[in-house]
Amino acid sequence: MSDIPTPERHPDIPSRRRQELAALGGPWLEALTASAVAIVLTDALLPDDPILHVNPAFEALTGYPAAEALGRNCRFLQPEPAETEARARIREALATDAPVTADLLNRRRDGERFWNRISIATIRDGHGAPAFRLATQADVSSEYADDPAARELRASRRSLAEVQERLRVVQSVAGAAGAWEWDIASKRLVADARFASIYGLDAATAASGLPTAAFFAAVHEEDRMRLRIAVAGALHGAEVFARDYRVVVDGEIRWVAARGRTYLDAAERPLRFAGVLTDITDQRKVEERLHIAQTAGEVGSFEYVAGYGTAEVSEQFCRLLGLRPAQSLPVRTINALVHPEDPALIQNRDGRISSGTASHEFRITRADTGEERWLASRGEYRAGLAGGTIFTGVIYDITTTKRSEAALRLLTEKLEERVEERTQERDRLWNLSRDLLNVIGPDGRLRAVNPAWTRLLGHDEAELIGTSIEALTHPEDAATARSHLAHLLHGEAIAEFDIRMRTKGGDPRWVSWTVVPEGGAIYGIGRDVTQRKLLEDQLRQSQKMEAVGQLTGGIAHDFNNMLTGILGGIDMVRRRVSQGRLDDVDRFLEAAMQSGQRAAALTHRLLAFSRRQTLDSRPLDVAVLVRSIEDLLRRTLGEQIELVIDMGPDLWSAVADDNQLESAILNLAINSRDAMPDGGRLTIGGRNVHLSATDLAHSDRGEAGDYVEIRVADTGLGMPADVLAKAFDPFYTTKPQGQGTGLGLSMVYGFIQQSRGDVMIESREGSGTTIRLFLPRHHGAPDETPAKPRAAALPGTGETVLVIEDDPAVRLLVLQVLQELGYRAIETADERDAVPILQSARHLDLLISDVGLPGMSGRRLAEIARASRPGLPVLFMTGYAREAADQAQFLDAGMEIITKPFAVDELGQRVNRILRTKGMAGPSSE
Amino acid sequence: MSDHVVPLEEMERDALTELVNIGVSRAAASLRKMAGQQVLLSVPSLEVVTRGGAATLIRERESGDLVAVRQDFEGVFSGRALLIFPESNSMALVRAVAGSALSDAEAAEMEDEALTETGNVVLNSCLATMANMLQRPLTMSLPQVVRGNGVGLFELMQVSTEEGGVVLFLYINFAINDRDIRGYIAMLMDLPSLQALRLLITEFIRRVIGDEV
Amino acid sequence: METTVLIVDDSKLARIVVGKVVAALQPDWQRLEAGNADEAVAVIAAKPVDVVIIDFNMPGRDGLDLAEELRGRFPAMPIAVATANIQDEIVDRARAANATFIAKPVTEEGARGFISGAALRLRAPRP
Repeated sequence: MSDIPTPERHPDIPSRRRQELAALGGPWLEALTASAVAIVLTDALLPDDPILHVNPAFEALTGYPAAEALGRNCRFLQPEPAETEARARIREALATDAPVTADLLNRRRDGERFWNRISIATIRDGHGAPAFRLATQADVSSEYADDPAARELRASRRSLAEVQERLRVVQSVAGAAGAWEWDIASKRLVADARFASIYGLDAATAASGLPTAAFFAAVHEEDRMRLRIAVAGALHGAEVFARDYRVVVDGEIRWVAARGRTYLDAAERPLRFAGVLTDITDQRKVEERLHIAQTAGEVGSFEYVAGYGTAEVSEQFCRLLGLRPAQSLPVRTINALVHPEDPALIQNRDGRISSGTASHEFRITRADTGEERWLASRGEYRAGLAGGTIFTGVIYDITTTKRSEAALRLLTEKLEERVEERTQERDRLWNLSRDLLNVIGPDGRLRAVNPAWTRLLGHDEAELIGTSIEALTHPEDAATARSHLAHLLHGEAIAEFDIRMRTKGGDPRWVSWTVVPEGGAIYGIGRDVTQRKLLEDQLRQSQKMEAVGQLTGGIAHDFNNMLTGILGGIDMVRRRVSQGRLDDVDRFLEAAMQSGQRAAALTHRLLAFSRRQTLDSRPLDVAVLVRSIEDLLRRTLGEQIELVIDMGPDLWSAVADDNQLESAILNLAINSRDAMPDGGRLTIGGRNVHLSATDLAHSDRGEAGDYVEIRVADTGLGMPADVLAKAFDPFYTTKPQGQGTGLGLSMVYGFIQQSRGDVMIESREGSGTTIRLFLPRHHGAPDETPAKPRAAALPGTGETVLVIEDDPAVRLLVLQVLQELGYRAIETADERDAVPILQSARHLDLLISDVGLPGMSGRRLAEIARASRPGLPVLFMTGYAREAADQAQFLDAGMEIITKPFAVDELGQRVNRILRTKGMAGPSSE
Repeated sequence: MSDHVVPLEEMERDALTELVNIGVSRAAASLRKMAGQQVLLSVPSLEVVTRGGAATLIRERESGDLVAVRQDFEGVFSGRALLIFPESNSMALVRAVAGSALSDAEAAEMEDEALTETGNVVLNSCLATMANMLQRPLTMSLPQVVRGNGVGLFELMQVSTEEGGVVLFLYINFAINDRDIRGYIAMLMDLPSLQALRLLITEFIRRVIGDEV
Repeated sequence: METTVLIVDDSKLARIVVGKVVAALQPDWQRLEAGNADEAVAVIAAKPVDVVIIDFNMPGRDGLDLAEELRGRFPAMPIAVATANIQDEIVDRARAANATFIAKPVTEEGARGFISGAALRLRAPRP
């Protein structure tokens, strides 16, 4: 009888009732209890007669310890709930508290069935009321047996059937597992077919029982001893048996898992050792692979049975937590490493969750290093075979991911902040900018404009959106805008261009654009530069005025000197003539002539600078030209300067105006002379070169190709960089005021550029200066005929020449020359005088006309003349004429030009030659 | 890993495990009787470590507060056995073992006392069974309820200071069915010398295996 | 004549449990309690005690010491040693002192033999 009742069933009542029972039953009950008769006492006061007391004989008979019987109705001994005649009889008797005896087929705790003869009597209290019931029980199975032998057999069969049934139950629970039962007292092993199959035993023999040595026979030699130890433990009362080992059958090795337990009898002596056997060969392979995978993948695994204090863990699990490797760890230890704010690693300690999956992420503080790491756990809850919930899962380190996430989040947040800031900034910029900001779609129409557009141009935003940019451009700049837009639509960015934009008010505004195509749209920033443009114009104008002032100042100075020479000379001649002293008149006339020639040269240079001189470009041999002026150069340079002429062999002929070239070389030589006050060497060289487009990048009109280089190099002072930079600037001079107009180099530059060549200058202070002139090569032979035969003019033979000249001095001079040469000259000042004569029937052999006349130009008059007198020779005189710069375009056949100022002889020779040529060609029209 | 030693062959470890298993099974039977309830046990986990390793191991595992019944033992091997519960479980355990013998008030008042007696019965059953299996007597101290952190609980016993001694550390989970009582038995054994242990184990193996067939 | 049983155990819980077992088996017995060996000796000096059930593991003198002492003084007294320390040595020593060994936890089953035997012996005419 247990002294420790089961309080949750009938708290406190049984113990009180037992005392009452003891009082009522007295020594009788005590004696009965101690006897070999199995007795049961139940409480008649409680519903369904719960068992209050059983004696040891009852425990022996049924195999149930008192603790398992107390509180229950005796029915728990019945294997089937089915109603029988005997049970009905008992129920009827109890209803009237009458005594009853009946035989019932009962089942012992171990499952064995037996016939139980039960006699029940009701014990009444002092007042005669039913208080308890006493039932005696006796095994009367023998009375139900036919004979002893049959009984024996039946018992044996029954017991075997019981064992096998248990095995079947176990098997059905464990799936395909084999099962065994080891009877400790009889040292017999019973196993099922699956066990026999795994062990390579005969199924029938195994089912009917084997010596227990059979449990070890098939076991792998290396595992046998360990298994024997474990079994020995079980046989000595160790409850839990769990072993994995190898079984060798026909040379094949299988891994099996044996799980079992020891059952004790009432006296706590080991009774039997039973369990199940599972083939885990495949599972082990998987586990091995899993183990490798877990180790390699740094995945730790764990298994936790709800309620237990520790969890089974893998080595990697321990490593991830920074713990020493172990097979099991207290849950508290594991969870203590988890950050208090994070979910515990092992949850469900109370087993409330019974299925499903679970995944958590949490921080841990590593036990070894104290480092904080992020781990993730993934697990699954499932029901354990032995009851309770098993939580199986894995953990792995996700610190890197978490940190990346955190960094990314931070970055994103910052980025958002920045984007927000940027957006605000951009909006502010967009709204506040004084520059025009806009987006143009691929169709060339405005998609977005900022408020500056309205402020600057007056158009509303609504008017602007959808309007093509071209339509907003000043008509004169529309073409430029269109061309830029085309480039932009091809993806080319355009850094800066200025165009005028239309305003609502009408006045255009200059806008300087920077435009970038991006992702199909064009983004533009336009700055209003109208004011700047105005200022630039004003500046340009004032610079021009300043330049003109400089020029006029310089020229006036020079001219005054020259005029002084001319006027003074003429004045002296007049005095000498009036005094009749004609002996030294020539001297003064010569001086006046020289001054006049210098003045002519000056105006020539001015025109050359303006690139509006009349060039008579023709093929020439540079070497011949240079040698022809060699004497002149030597005289100009003086004795202190050595002149070296270095002309390369086979020099190509070049195309240029020989007079201008001579003049340029002289100019350069004079500059060099001035740069060598203490003497030195001047080299004039010539060679053939080929210039690329890159070489000619600074040339106005030069094209890649062959050139003749004329090199003028001195050993003089050279130029500092700032001087060099301005060397070609007009009016720039290093010479003292009055010594020059500063047109020298710039004139050279102008002439060479006009000749489709180029000039390069190299100079370093103290190392001399080299200037290279490049003239285009003439493809073909040089002109053999000398350009200007300097013969004296032949006298005329009375030919009629019509002169049209508005300047009376020039007209007087021309008439005088013609008359002196023996021509008949008709004098007119302009078209009013000339046209009637030209359209009359008067005979004319030649027309000499100024080009720039007031009213009708000389060229137009020539046409009028030719209309009625085809082939009439025409000689134009010009001081300056844009048209005359290119004679080929200006002149028709039979027309020539002579530039002012000209020498009297020169005019005579030209007239003479024209009329002679005409005479040879045939009679002129009359 | 360097603190871990593998001084025992697998078989010897197995034998030790079984020894403990038998002892704990007996303890579980005692607990079962006291609580009148099914008591479930887990497979023991056993580790053999050096003394230094044991200190680390305990520090790692037994952080935080807990309630335990501690009993030291001395003999051919010495050590300390603990019955450890989560704090919240201790009253439930008291109620389970005291049952109707105590009122709630009494139970609360007697919590420590009840725990002590429970631990006494459980640990004595276990240790005495082991002693019997090894056929070497063990002297056991009075049980004591301790609360605190693990290092204090397992504070290494002064019973043997012999250098090179190893420490056997084991855990067995138990759960009392139908009640929310879970806990574990932990045992720390100071083994004076491997040689002595081997001898004991060899004897034990011979004995138990000799019995079995 | 009333039978008196002395339960010697340092654990109050253990005394209660043993007391319950005794009460269940022998409700009429008078139960006395002592927390250690010395207290037990004092109780026995003060009152007549018929039966003693002694815990083995107690502070101060252990239960076997006490059992041996009492056996010396009361050769016929039914004495039981109740302990969870089921070591063979302890069982042997208890037997040597002519004391019954009861394994803890003490249950009615475990104690029945001793209590019934004691009751029978006490009912027998005393010398």
